[in-house]
Amino acid sequence: MARAALGRRKKAGEQMRILQNSGVPIYQQIAEQFKAGILAGKYKQGEYLPSIRGLAKELKISVITTMKAYEQLEAEGLVTAVQGKGYYVNAQDSEMLREQHLRKVEESLLEAITAARIAGITDRELMDTLETLLNMEE
Amino acid sequence: MEVNYVLEAYGLKKKYKGFELNIPELKIPKGYATALIGENGAGKTTLLNILAGIQLQYQGEIRYYGKYTDKDREEIPEVKERMGYTAPGSYYVSQWRLGQIAELNELLFSNFHRERFERWCKELAVGAEGWDPKKKVSDLSDGNRMKLMIAGVLARDTAILLMDEPASPLDPVMRDKLCEIIREYLAEDEGQRSVFFSTHNIADMENVTDYAIIMESGKIVEQGFVEDLKEKYLLVKGDESELGKVQKELFNCTTNKYGFEGICLAEKLDRLAGCDISVERPSLTQISVAVMKHFSHVAA
Repeated sequence: MARAALGRRKKAGEQMRILQNSGVPIYQQIAEQFKAGILAGKYKQGEYLPSIRGLAKELKISVITTMKAYEQLEAEGLVTAVQGKGYYVNAQDSEMLREQHLRKVEESLLEAITAARIAGITDRELMDTLETLLNMEE
Repeated sequence: MEVNYVLEAYGLKKKYKGFELNIPELKIPKGYATALIGENGAGKTTLLNILAGIQLQYQGEIRYYGKYTDKDREEIPEVKERMGYTAPGSYYVSQWRLGQIAELNELLFSNFHRERFERWCKELAVGAEGWDPKKKVSDLSDGNRMKLMIAGVLARDTAILLMDEPASPLDPVMRDKLCEIIREYLAEDEGQRSVFFSTHNIADMENVTDYAIIMESGKIVEQGFVEDLKEKYLLVKGDESELGKVQKELFNCTTNKYGFEGICLAEKLDRLAGCDISVERPSLTQISVAVMKHFSHVAA
């Protein structure tokens, strides 16, 4: 029992990295890291997230910050709250999953476009760069 | 978010010469750490002493754990048994020895665990030896006396800790340890335990503060969950040339050679539209100082 609890804690701890002064609110950092974990399938359907106060203790942050992170995940439909038990991971709709991933790709590409504009790189050069990178992957 | 309350008070009043505590309603959320913030003389200690049943002369009603009244507090042992109270200064008689304090606690509280008390004294390093039953309270520094009191309440099975300025006499390492202790206390019985502490060291305690109550001149002037307060208020910065346009919307506006900064209500942000300003999330310290200054100005 004790060993199982320890194992769960360790898993959450390993995947969390909180920056106090990054400008991104801490609750958002936590929510995003859980979200990435859930979308990547690291947290399985029906699995409970670490307890709110247990996670707050591990991450050395306040309970309300952890709670706000979980509430955000709940609002996004990724987890469900059960009174007195905690938050468990919902079944991830594959359509929605794809949509989420696609949005992430778009965000990253937009970032690349912005960087290119700042550097005065033409659209043609940008396309070529993407193509080169895609070929390198293969 | 559904919230229950571990302590509630209604129509709380207490008068001293030149001071009046006046709190129409007080609700301390169950399962969280609540910070009581305010200037010296704002009434924090008076409020904690009333709640703990140390100050018995007051008007108003208190409700404990959703079911007991303040009359019950004096008649039903469970109410005080489930409460741990700490305060700075010499709460324990200075002639007493650590061993006697353990014995006294055993007599007073059925839920006091002596071995746990000794373990906490060791862990918190109360005095050089950690645990020495012969050690006198009068030989301990202020910081060590506070640690002794903390060990005393942690040795009992409680549902709420009422702590008056627990961080003040502690060094930075011990303050960090105090935060850890509070988080552990809350996590041990998920959602069932609460902590209510007063503090001047807002920054040191911010990462363990869930709910904040700010007092000024005997009244509660602001309160809320910290995450909500950080959305309610914004930290605004800008060039001096913009100051005229924004000043009246700012709490605690300060200026220097390079510009100004102040706290404003997020809902007022659109009134600053068109001004060349930067906006960021304030810390609890920044919010508290702005609110305290604002209300202390109104009072004066």
